[in-house]
Amino acid sequence: MSRYYYDLCNRHRGKAVEITTRDGRKHRGIIRNVDQRRVFIQPLGGGRRIGGFGYGFYGYGPYGYRPGFGYGVALGAIATLALLPWFWI
Amino acid sequence: MQPTYMNCIAELGVGGAHPGGLKLTKEVLKKEKIVASTKLLDAGCGTGQTAAYIANKYGCQVTALDYNTVVLEKAKARFRSMKLPVHVHAKRGNIEDLDFADNSFHIVLSESVLGFTDADKSISECSRILKEPGTLLAIEMVLEDSISDVDNLSEITHFYGIPHLKTTEEWINMYRNAGFKHIQVDKYKPNLESHNLENSPDFSLSDEIDDQLFDVLRKHHYYMKKYDNILGFRIFYCNK
Repeated sequence: MSRYYYDLCNRHRGKAVEITTRDGRKHRGIIRNVDQRRVFIQPLGGGRRIGGFGYGFYGYGPYGYRPGFGYGVALGAIATLALLPWFWI
Repeated sequence: MQPTYMNCIAELGVGGAHPGGLKLTKEVLKKEKIVASTKLLDAGCGTGQTAAYIANKYGCQVTALDYNTVVLEKAKARFRSMKLPVHVHAKRGNIEDLDFADNSFHIVLSESVLGFTDADKSISECSRILKEPGTLLAIEMVLEDSISDVDNLSEITHFYGIPHLKTTEEWINMYRNAGFKHIQVDKYKPNLESHNLENSPDFSLSDEIDDQLFDVLRKHHYYMKKYDNILGFRIFYCNK
């Protein structure tokens, strides 16, 4: 497992992030959970649609999307993780 | 529940849901003279983060008002759970038609609230309930003056539920018309750099959250970036 991203994802639990995986896909969403192998992302934009408004989601990987849970991204597949810039009005 | 921006903030229970968050609130309040006898109204208190901070820091007489009952209940729960040195009076009310007598408060604080209302009405209500001297502190979104050829603001005004996006000049004129004599304006620029943990909100998501709310979050994030150069933020210090 990737200890580095496990710790980082745990620290950013509840934060809106952008994760880029080694295959070049970008995943934008809120970190809901982390286990030994995966980080679970709540995609911004729900889970019903793929692509569309603003930026796209290119599929939900091998772990699928479940409401209230998000979808899993393998920790070992993460290339970069950054907080999404955010402010409220 | 309608999946509006305001309902999204209310359902997610976001604290400090205004430009600058609690950090800016602290800076704004630091410039004011607030003592134990100061009567302060937090108009549009949301989940009560600011009102609780003020009660704790200044021990003054704080009234926290909001129209949205979902956030108001969260504010009440917050006040109950904290060991605040003074009681915060939480009350439901409409800032366009306030249920307070004339000359009731020394300070009215309004954090990204007036712009979502009929501002002529709400500013004149703030003026009415303020003592003389009295101060209205308002953090508001503005249309940057330099932009003249914006033809499609309706997607923002519609999404956020803003009746009319105002320039800084327009705001100042409205404050003047409502009887405020001295108006000082400070500019606030949000820090959009990545890894800025301080401004990064904490989402505590329950399992029951409606998926539609994540659509709202996504659109908000998209508009923030799209209109970064067109929308600005100001702090208005208005003295009666």
